[in-house]
Amino acid sequence: MHVAAIIPWVPLLAAALCTACCASRTLRTLAAPICITGIGTAFVMTLVAIAKLAGAEGDHYTAYLAPWIEVGGAWVDGQYVGGMIANFSYHVDSLTAIMMLAITGVGSLVSIYAAGYMKGDEGYARFFAGVALFIFAMLNLVMADNFVLLFLGWEGVGLASYLLIGHYYRKPSAAAAAQKAFIVNRVGDFGFLLGVFCVYQAFGSIRFEEVLPAARALLTGEAAGLAPGAAAAYAVAQATQAANPAYLLAAPFGLMLGAFGKSAQLPLFVWLPDAMEGPSPVSALIHAATMVTAGVYLIARTIHLFELSPYALPTVAMVGALTAVVGALIAASAFDLKKVFAYSTVSQLGYMFLGVSALSTYGAIFHLVTHAFFKAVLFLTAGSVMHALAGQLDMRKMSGLAKKMPITCVLMLCGCLALAGAPLTSGFFSKDLILADAMSFGISAPTAGAKVVYILASLAGLAAALLTAYYAFRAWFRVFLGDYRVEFGEDDHGHEESHEEHHDPAHPREPHEAPWLMNAPLIVLALGAIFAGILLKATGVIEGAILHSTANSVEAPIAAHHGATEAAAGTGHEEGHAHRHHTPEYLHLLMYGVSAAIAVAGIGLAWLLHYRQRAIADKLRDAAPAFGAALNRKLYFDVLYEKAVVGPLRLVGQIMFLIDSLIVDGAVRLVARGPAFLGRGMQPGQSGKLHAYGLGMAAGIAAAVFLVFFAMSR
Amino acid sequence: MTTPLALYLASVLGAAALLLAMPRRGRPLVPLGTLLGPFLAATTLGLLWLLLAKDWLTTGDTGLEPLGFAYYYVFGGISLLAAGRVITHPKPVYSALWFILVVVSSAGLMITLSAEFMALAMLIIYGGAILVTYMFVIMLASQSAPLDSAEALPDYDGSAREPVAAVAAGFLLLAVLLGVAFDPSIERNPDAAVPAAEVAALLPERTAQGESSWLTSTPTDPTSAEAAAQAVEVSNVERIGVDLFTGNPLAIELAGVILLMAMIGAVVIAKAQPPSRSDDSGGMGAGPGAAPGANPADAPPSADPLRAEPPEIGAMSAVESPA
Amino acid sequence: MPETAISTLTLAHFLGIGAALFALGVIGFVTRRNLIVMFLCTEMMFQGVVVTLVAFARFHMNTTGQTFVIFVLTIAAAEAALALALVVLLFRRQRTLDASAWTELRG
Repeated sequence: MHVAAIIPWVPLLAAALCTACCASRTLRTLAAPICITGIGTAFVMTLVAIAKLAGAEGDHYTAYLAPWIEVGGAWVDGQYVGGMIANFSYHVDSLTAIMMLAITGVGSLVSIYAAGYMKGDEGYARFFAGVALFIFAMLNLVMADNFVLLFLGWEGVGLASYLLIGHYYRKPSAAAAAQKAFIVNRVGDFGFLLGVFCVYQAFGSIRFEEVLPAARALLTGEAAGLAPGAAAAYAVAQATQAANPAYLLAAPFGLMLGAFGKSAQLPLFVWLPDAMEGPSPVSALIHAATMVTAGVYLIARTIHLFELSPYALPTVAMVGALTAVVGALIAASAFDLKKVFAYSTVSQLGYMFLGVSALSTYGAIFHLVTHAFFKAVLFLTAGSVMHALAGQLDMRKMSGLAKKMPITCVLMLCGCLALAGAPLTSGFFSKDLILADAMSFGISAPTAGAKVVYILASLAGLAAALLTAYYAFRAWFRVFLGDYRVEFGEDDHGHEESHEEHHDPAHPREPHEAPWLMNAPLIVLALGAIFAGILLKATGVIEGAILHSTANSVEAPIAAHHGATEAAAGTGHEEGHAHRHHTPEYLHLLMYGVSAAIAVAGIGLAWLLHYRQRAIADKLRDAAPAFGAALNRKLYFDVLYEKAVVGPLRLVGQIMFLIDSLIVDGAVRLVARGPAFLGRGMQPGQSGKLHAYGLGMAAGIAAAVFLVFFAMSR
Repeated sequence: MTTPLALYLASVLGAAALLLAMPRRGRPLVPLGTLLGPFLAATTLGLLWLLLAKDWLTTGDTGLEPLGFAYYYVFGGISLLAAGRVITHPKPVYSALWFILVVVSSAGLMITLSAEFMALAMLIIYGGAILVTYMFVIMLASQSAPLDSAEALPDYDGSAREPVAAVAAGFLLLAVLLGVAFDPSIERNPDAAVPAAEVAALLPERTAQGESSWLTSTPTDPTSAEAAAQAVEVSNVERIGVDLFTGNPLAIELAGVILLMAMIGAVVIAKAQPPSRSDDSGGMGAGPGAAPGANPADAPPSADPLRAEPPEIGAMSAVESPA
Repeated sequence: MPETAISTLTLAHFLGIGAALFALGVIGFVTRRNLIVMFLCTEMMFQGVVVTLVAFARFHMNTTGQTFVIFVLTIAAAEAALALALVVLLFRRQRTLDASAWTELRG
């Protein structure tokens, strides 16, 4: 058995142990070490598993653990053939490896941070059980070798997210946010399931190693060299393409809907800002670094399916670009520090979708990794600020914290620089890669429609980049620079013990630097936020990884002419190489220059409005009150959903409740009343008089004998 | 077939007879009811016997058969009349004595069925052991009133309870059972009766144990002494013994366990002291302190040992404290 | 000749006696109010069953019925012992043998 097969189960064991630790107050402190050990072990095992990848044949290997679902086929020579196969079996290739590293690496650091952050919380063990459970589900998601196991992880991360958003479940807003996240995700999951059904109809299989090569073969028209299973899937898919092409066209749209739900894209993004009700480490780990990128991962993994449908990728591009702009706009107007970063996450995820839609899975995954670093830093530093200010998150009520919290200040500066795309930070490289690829994809698109879509999308991306730089530094300037001024919050996050001294009137409350247990992982992440981009770019690790995974796109049919001229002989990956090399170097250089200028402009604007002359910002806001109010209320998306979806559903629910209470319950009550009436009627028979019983018995025997021998025998 | 009709008629008549004979203090159904009842019953039974035996009366010229018939009718009649008396006699002691007569007469019936061991065992166990126990309990539980004065009878012995309904139900049951017993069509039902040859084939070991002669011998009149002497080479007791101990060892063990449990249970139940009530000065088990026949209401509260104790303790402490 | 013998004194004659004893026992059980007599009547029902069993044994030409009677006797003896002990107990409690005194045990 491969070591990879047990990687996800180590965090699950940790989750079980943490759950057991909930039992007693003394055991609770053990939860953090257990959780950190579990995730750390998973990280080390991931390294081992990746080392094995080097020697693997065909750039990937499959680690089989246990059977799960095998239906509709038959056993032939100890091998289950045909039908639907969904086993606990893990597909490890370089794309998986990147995701595993990001998940377990960021997960370990965040859980170390949380060990300090959550200290004194009554749900200490529960929190770490949730985190470990999340890591388990997320690893299943990215390692699954079939859609059903992926869906298990998909739902598992949803569950863990629900549990962790609702960590402060006594707080109504947190409970409501948890439910909202769960229910909005259901919409996406519905689409995901439909997509999986379509895939099964189209390919007769749901295993990646059969479906994806078959889809690739369908794109390139080269069926030679396919494995037997993939060849069978290819045959089925060819038949489907001839008879029912709708399945192939619809499958990516279903998967897309799932991805939009999980990754908070435009129609379904409303849950993510509310999810910030959870503890800050959760915001950093789940709602910034890992879980929300699952949608990007899904599209990158199944990019061939998306390529098969001519309208799928432009749709993704439009949604991604629009989300990037809308998210950035709202983030630029929000005052809640964590909300700013939440909308920023929405916006950055839009970039990633723009990247995959331009077939730049390299750019998307690159941005995913760098984003994991810098967004984790931002959320965790926001958590530190919140920790120091007793739950205060309103940027209007804090200022000039740099003197009190110098380390946090520097760390958040690193994160903001990377987010803003300041030159040579990691965000700079990844964002530019996406924008340049989208632009080049648009310029060279064969149809006018696609041209317009992609060029507009990349321009929107540039506009969003300006806003991003602005809101990132708006937050930083407001919080850390300026005159020192602070209003403490209500501290409803369970830090009473650590803040006990502040309640003492003799000692005025002072914001304090976070302990080293919290700052140490932050420093690692901040270093990553600054330098990971240039390192990864220079070494080409991610690019190579993408080229050797199924996420490597095929330039067909829309961009087939790209690679044709430059394709080198050799493996099938060359086409992808060709395309990426074809994005002209001048375009990259141009994009670097433009976006560096944009970043500087955005930072300068923020400096002007939020450091030099804060009054101007307020005046500007007052100048267009309707726009500001709209931004403050998420562009009325919540109101729309409330009116259009929740209201009718509530009406239906009330009707159902009436039907249930009147008809169903009435029927049940009627049935229940029958025996009661019968019993009351027969009660006189139970007189306690022996002779009455004897009389009844004699008459009964007479009747029985009469029935048996006379009535029935004739 | 007039026989079923006659049986139903006899059932109705018997029911009427029994109803008349029921103890019913003060308000008899008809004058002299308690005398009319037995008379009607005897008449009914006699007529019924004549009807059932009419074949015998016409063709009764075959050897010793008449004797067997006579036994059947005599013992049957005695047992039925005695049974009627058991349930109609107001005094439990006489009921028990009449029941002994029922046992004795059914023992006679069993002898006509060539089950001598059963007959004797019935006499000894029922007529002897069990009935004597009943007599003891009746004596124990009866009030100290003279046995033959009707006025001294407790109310629950002096009058029957819902006699009409009970007799109707009982004789309905009897009529149905008789209908089954005398219904020729049921005997002819191929499913109901297994041919004797098949029965014999089913019991090879029994034929091997020397019972073959008894099984295979022509079934003759059961009361024929000649046939019995010829057929019964092995005695009745021996046959039952073999059947009992070879065929049912587990049942015998279980019977032993049941008897043991009954013995232990009877001891435990009879020893149990009832909890004393406030309005009860103690039952029979209260010992010599409770005078027989004493009115419970007259008994002073201090007679209750539980109540008597606290004042005693108080008195003792009162005595001790000055010392 | 065996045919006539069987037809003249049949199994039914004995079954009739047994059924009559059983039915009289039932009637007695229902009408009498004295606990002891009620148990006596159950013994009479046993008597009817015993006659029936012995008759079956004779007319089926085997001893199974008689063997069964032995077990019936066993149960009757056990029942008599327990029932009479219970009667004694009940009499001690209520100073009466009236079965109606125990109607408080009704359901």
